[in-house]
Amino acid sequence: MGTLLKVKKLSKSFGGLQALKEITLKVAPEQIVGIIGPNGAGKTTFFNCLSCLYHPTGGEIKFDNIPLATPISTAAKRRVRIFAWIFLILGLIRLPLFWSFFLPQTFYKVELFLLGLFILSIRFLLVRGLMRHEIWAWGLMFIFLLSDVCFALLFLTHQNPPAYIVFTHVPLRYMAMPWGVAGGLFSLYFAGVLCTGRVRRLYGFRTSPDAVCRMGLARTFQNIRLFFNLSVLDNVKIGRHGRMHSGLGKTLLKTRFQRKEEASAEKEGLHFLRFVGLEDKAFDLADTLAYGEQRRLEIARALSSEPKLLLLDEPAAGMNARESEKLIQLVRKIREGGIAVLIIEHDMKVMMNLADYIYVFDYGRLIAEGTPDAVRENQKVIDAYLGGGQGVC
Amino acid sequence: MSLSPKNPRVLFLAILFLAVILPWIPLGPSTNYLLRVLTSAVLYMILALGLNIVPGFTGLLDLGYVGFYGIGAYTSGLLAIHYDLSLWVILPLAAANGALWGVLLGAPTLRLTGDYFAIVTFGFSELVVLLIRNELWLTRGPMGLPGIPPPAIFGYALTQGWQYFYLALFLLLVVLVVVVRLENSRLGRAWFAIREDETAAQCCGISLIRYKVMAFAASAAIGAMGGAFYAKWFRFIHPDMFKFWESILILCLIVFGGMGSIAGTMLGALILIPLTEVLRTALPQSMFNARYLIYGLLLVLMMRLRPEGLIPFQLSRSRKAEQAKARLLGGEE
Amino acid sequence: MESLFDQSSLFLQQLVNGITLGGVYALIAVGYTMVYGVIQLINFAHGEIYMLGAFLAYTLVAVVGMPFFPAFVLTLLICAVLGVVLDFVAYRPLRKAPRLAALITAIGMSIFLQNMAMLVWGSQIKSYPRDILPPFFSESAITFGDVSLSWLQLFILAITLLSMIILHLTIHKTRIGMAMRAISQDKTASALMGIGVNRVISFTFAIGSAMGGMAGVLVGLYYNAIFPTMGYVAGIKAFAAAVLGGIGSVPGAMLGGGVLGIAEVMGAGYISSEYRDGISYAVMIAVILFKPSGLIGKQNAEKV
Repeated sequence: MGTLLKVKKLSKSFGGLQALKEITLKVAPEQIVGIIGPNGAGKTTFFNCLSCLYHPTGGEIKFDNIPLATPISTAAKRRVRIFAWIFLILGLIRLPLFWSFFLPQTFYKVELFLLGLFILSIRFLLVRGLMRHEIWAWGLMFIFLLSDVCFALLFLTHQNPPAYIVFTHVPLRYMAMPWGVAGGLFSLYFAGVLCTGRVRRLYGFRTSPDAVCRMGLARTFQNIRLFFNLSVLDNVKIGRHGRMHSGLGKTLLKTRFQRKEEASAEKEGLHFLRFVGLEDKAFDLADTLAYGEQRRLEIARALSSEPKLLLLDEPAAGMNARESEKLIQLVRKIREGGIAVLIIEHDMKVMMNLADYIYVFDYGRLIAEGTPDAVRENQKVIDAYLGGGQGVC
Repeated sequence: MSLSPKNPRVLFLAILFLAVILPWIPLGPSTNYLLRVLTSAVLYMILALGLNIVPGFTGLLDLGYVGFYGIGAYTSGLLAIHYDLSLWVILPLAAANGALWGVLLGAPTLRLTGDYFAIVTFGFSELVVLLIRNELWLTRGPMGLPGIPPPAIFGYALTQGWQYFYLALFLLLVVLVVVVRLENSRLGRAWFAIREDETAAQCCGISLIRYKVMAFAASAAIGAMGGAFYAKWFRFIHPDMFKFWESILILCLIVFGGMGSIAGTMLGALILIPLTEVLRTALPQSMFNARYLIYGLLLVLMMRLRPEGLIPFQLSRSRKAEQAKARLLGGEE
Repeated sequence: MESLFDQSSLFLQQLVNGITLGGVYALIAVGYTMVYGVIQLINFAHGEIYMLGAFLAYTLVAVVGMPFFPAFVLTLLICAVLGVVLDFVAYRPLRKAPRLAALITAIGMSIFLQNMAMLVWGSQIKSYPRDILPPFFSESAITFGDVSLSWLQLFILAITLLSMIILHLTIHKTRIGMAMRAISQDKTASALMGIGVNRVISFTFAIGSAMGGMAGVLVGLYYNAIFPTMGYVAGIKAFAAAVLGGIGSVPGAMLGGGVLGIAEVMGAGYISSEYRDGISYAVMIAVILFKPSGLIGKQNAEKV
């Protein structure tokens, strides 16, 4: 049986703050894995990386053997650097061409001189953005390359192009042609990069969170994020969004397919609400539910996308003993349904009763892992939770 | 819940019946004027329904709606003047053009938060209007576009006020059907989800890019269609008719009626547009712009006192929910 | 080769004009950016305060007959009060409301004020009386080849610079400035630390509005034409300047104002004067799309 979720040396830093450092974690199908740790240990950040809401700065996530976010390989980094240099060189070549094309004929010289330098400096900034794998740089670079191609075309088709590059005796046509071709080829390439998902991942762009959900990874949130102005049933139907297929055309024409799909969505939605015990509130506004019911609704919404792995972020927060007990039973029922669960929780009773395996986070690092009993005895875990004897008041 | 009729469908059909026989009620010499005002109200209902999709359904404040209105009007006007086309060709073409520009202008704005999105849409629409005003070779700019031929339906040209009224009513019905079907579908729910919580919507499998662009395009298409009708009705268009105020006016209609609720939007238009006309005739000429003042005040007061509008979104949804519940309980038990 | 100086003198003159205009935009932009910094709201009505400043000064001088400098100071005070009243009436009740509601309210106030001005003063273009300033103001103070800087321009630049310095000192060296910076980082924590949040916000509005009103008077003097819709366009441009510099950052607003002023004058001179306003819109859109944190501002990550 393969691993469902494989996380290898995942790191995430926000500017100077290192939120996660080299986390390695595995979840097998139908397993319940727990994550515990003091507040601020990076647990929710970890979940956000799994959902691809953040882009990890290092490490790798593989879900069902498909990479969600790959580390940018050194080969790809080198390739990006080569592209950036070529882009810069194209810019440097274009500058004298630009000047020699416009300057002799135009009235205002100083301004065009400055304009040329200004555009070059933008290209410099662009190169910097490229090196940092910022997506805006790719889009802008594509536009610049296209403008290079247009300029080359303009140049080559112009009636009386200037013969020589400014101040030199280098014939202009020899420069313009190959440079325009280079710009054109690279424009096409970058257009491709921006369009195809697989190639984008290669250059450090991440999978989008909605694709992650469609692949079978659903989650709940630490602060309840329901659709409060919609009914309970609508919330669950939205959860099923990825499993339904009616698009704009079918909706406008109200085809039979769409009507059947809506009816089945309603039936399935009620089924999931029954599963968490909220069926009788199906048509109430999500806003009117009690806190514990809202948490269960979030779980029902996550379940309705038929995930293979369910991420629960502090589901027992704010619950009393009886509600926690019902939650434990619910999670066990979920596992029986064939869904693996990765659960962040502070409530030790819930955790020890549910988890097959536990990982302990502290300051963004993994400090211990093992079965619940092993973790309970672990000295490092005790230190982390009790402050390690540093005289906490 | 105050006065909700047992069956909203009956109410709707009653109103529709009234509207249809309206031109034939003898109201004396002011019938034509009344028809014009009502046609204008119906037009604004169409526009408001279109705009409702973006801030109402999807929760993004679009301040640039007038741009699409203008694009639709000029598309229809130019097509009508240069080519001899039937109305049924011009309307879809204008709507398609609107949708195209909706996609083009919407695509770059996807990652923006509420304030910035509003500003950028505003900037786009201002640029569009500037373009319309200055590209004389295309639009004749400040000279306007006079002499647009009246709409031709199966070869018969419309001339009477009541004919335009029926045409507007017909278009309204089409748009209404479209919007209602969108509201109760997977698409509509995706839009609502984006409005309520973008992050949660993403984690439910809703691609923000696709649905935001679709919302923008749908709203632009409807706005353009409204503009196309306007050009054919007024038969003269001019860049000054497409100022930023129109966007605000339509926004006002939606906010007043209830952002997101279809019935509320239509009610808002039905109340405010005739009110505008009343104000225009009641106030002396020097206070011509007072109506904008009232709109501004209205926006502020509504947000303070009743931000959900006359018919709140939840009310219209819960009524549907009750129907669904009744259907289900009747069906299963 | 033609003489470089012929063209460059036009260029430099445009540059000087651009910097002057930029100073005015900076004054207005600072108001936007400060308010956004403390309550994360784009105060659409700020442009109308700028317009009201111009009209108030006009009324005080032309109708009431006050001499210029006292009228100037009084205008500043009235604008400051107007700003505080605006906040109190329109924005404070909506502090807890969703952003969309506050934004719509801001738009509504902007429309209301603009049309109110149209009702009160009429929509004709008005000019300040000819003798409002000593006559030497329109003469050239500094001349460099063909480039000249009039006393009026010098006056505008000087006042702008002085205001910026005072503002900078206020924000960084006084207690209330520190309170403003604290609130822009975390409002709740500031309140818990004992900062009177509402009072500081009112103060922010007061300063921003005073500077906006000042800009209105200066523009009225410079272009010698004021009309009720001037706030609308100038407001958008100043907002573009604030975004360009990085919204929430006061030095950014100053820098953005300068850059935008220069860009607009250059663009109008060399490219096309019909699209003069379009340049500001284009710059604003480009900045928001490609680098929303602006030239100086910091990027804020949202906590999920």
